[in-house]
Amino acid sequence: MTAIKLTNINKYFGSGTSKVHVLTDINFSAERGELIVVIGPSGSGKSTFLTIAGGLLTPSSGQVEIEGKSVGNLSDSQRDALRLNNIGFILQKYNLVPYLTVSEQFELVDKIKKDNNFSKDNLLDLLKKLGIEKYVNKYPNELSGGQNQRVAIARALYANPDIVLADEPTASLDSEKVIEVGSLLKDLAVEQNKAIIIVTHDQRLMEFADKTYEIMDGKISLK
Amino acid sequence: MFLAVKEILHEKLRYSLIISMFVLIGYLIFILTGLAQGLAGQNTEVLDTWGARSILLNKDSNTNISQSMITNDQYKNINMNSKDASVAQMGVVVKSKDRSQVSGSFMGIKTDEFIYKDLKITEGKKSIKNKDVVVDSSYKNNGYKIGDKIKFNSSKTEFKIVGFTENAKLNIAPIIYGSTDNWSTLRGMGNTVVASAVISKNDKVKFSSDQLKSYPIGQFINKLPGYSAQVATFTFMIAFLMVISLIVITVFLYILTIQKLPNYAVLRAQGVPASILVKTTIYQSLILVIVGLLVAVILTAITGLLIPASVPIFFDVKMLSLVSLGIVLTSLLGSLIPVRTILKIDPVSIL
Repeated sequence: MTAIKLTNINKYFGSGTSKVHVLTDINFSAERGELIVVIGPSGSGKSTFLTIAGGLLTPSSGQVEIEGKSVGNLSDSQRDALRLNNIGFILQKYNLVPYLTVSEQFELVDKIKKDNNFSKDNLLDLLKKLGIEKYVNKYPNELSGGQNQRVAIARALYANPDIVLADEPTASLDSEKVIEVGSLLKDLAVEQNKAIIIVTHDQRLMEFADKTYEIMDGKISLK
Repeated sequence: MFLAVKEILHEKLRYSLIISMFVLIGYLIFILTGLAQGLAGQNTEVLDTWGARSILLNKDSNTNISQSMITNDQYKNINMNSKDASVAQMGVVVKSKDRSQVSGSFMGIKTDEFIYKDLKITEGKKSIKNKDVVVDSSYKNNGYKIGDKIKFNSSKTEFKIVGFTENAKLNIAPIIYGSTDNWSTLRGMGNTVVASAVISKNDKVKFSSDQLKSYPIGQFINKLPGYSAQVATFTFMIAFLMVISLIVITVFLYILTIQKLPNYAVLRAQGVPASILVKTTIYQSLILVIVGLLVAVILTAITGLLIPASVPIFFDVKMLSLVSLGIVLTSLLGSLIPVRTILKIDPVSIL
């Protein structure tokens, strides 16, 4: 089943002489059960690609479909609901609410999204896999960058989304943890039939990918 | 509510300082309101005690009881009934051996009229015959007791305090109830002038004289010397404090919201509806103000217990509740600008 489908996507920023063509004729699709890695240098349009794929940013032209729904036809609140229920975002920074402990980060998800979240047992398994089960009572400022990033991954997965969009999820992790996170995401894709799309510089994640795309100067190509 | 409470509990020092601002503002507003009501009450409390709804004065008295003189001829043209009572007023200084001098207002009344009949004695007995007087209980604060012999100004006539009554002040001056005959003697104007005013529990006193005029009691109160200026001063002070509290909460909430924008942007990206973040801000505003007001109420209650009786302060629960409600509404108003900022958060800005 196609989780995300981008058809003829173009995105411009600015206007007149300062108009920049950031994405050019992007055609992309991600199936459930796939882990896709999108690589590219800084400024190539990776983050813009991710925000459009997640329904956060409206393309200048083209069509975005998430779980079969055309995002362009959805109201703001319907887009919020789509992101809340279907998509898990893992971002580079500010992922965690600074005044909530690790366990409260998950409690917040429960308060906002009432159904279909992980059970306590599943959460504990997830935390163990990520090696952060002993930090549940810590605040983000009491954790290292890598620990925070793993909590952010757990938080995104806790809501049990069909699609996971990750922007540099392994930026703060050592090689050992990169392998653990890569394996975890790959397992999730295969065992729980989720679509995982990772935008990254990190070449180490490519070994887990079913498909690898490269974005260069706003154009995407399958590697 | 979850995010609002968790943040306040986590950032205890920051929010304690903000709450302390609201405590001080609330406390100041409560004390000023108490003083305003206390002073206003001392201006008019005897009118409330009498249940006065209108007052008849000499037309040329400038709505001032001290300057009103009703002559015998004019008095005959007043259709007095059981809800009307004449009063004969004059300002006096009360003196007694070994007691401090106290300014007051001598009020000559008649035993067959409602003011005397309704007079409630808290200590002593009710009598204005001969040289007996009943005085406001505030004289006790200056050491006056039942049985004390008192004189007024330079008069040699000696009067005797036989009873105390409560809530008997007009224009801040504590009242000395005596007979109209004694008032005539003190005033030294013979029998030509028989009263200063007629107080009525009716909306209007019936009379047939072009030298007299009946005023609604509200109009009379507003013309009490200094009353309107004093009420206006306090009202402006309280209103300005309300405006200051509005500015304070707006500034604090705005700064706090700006600091949290990156986190809010991530939450928005994760699909958290803006309404939840808006509610969080409004809940925080309400929690800060309500906690601040509760502490301010406790401080005000302690102040009320410790403040000397001579300070004209009166805490009316209904009025303080209304003021508190006003401050709470102000805080809601103050959260509108931060709310607008939240509604404009662009989740893309974080990527």
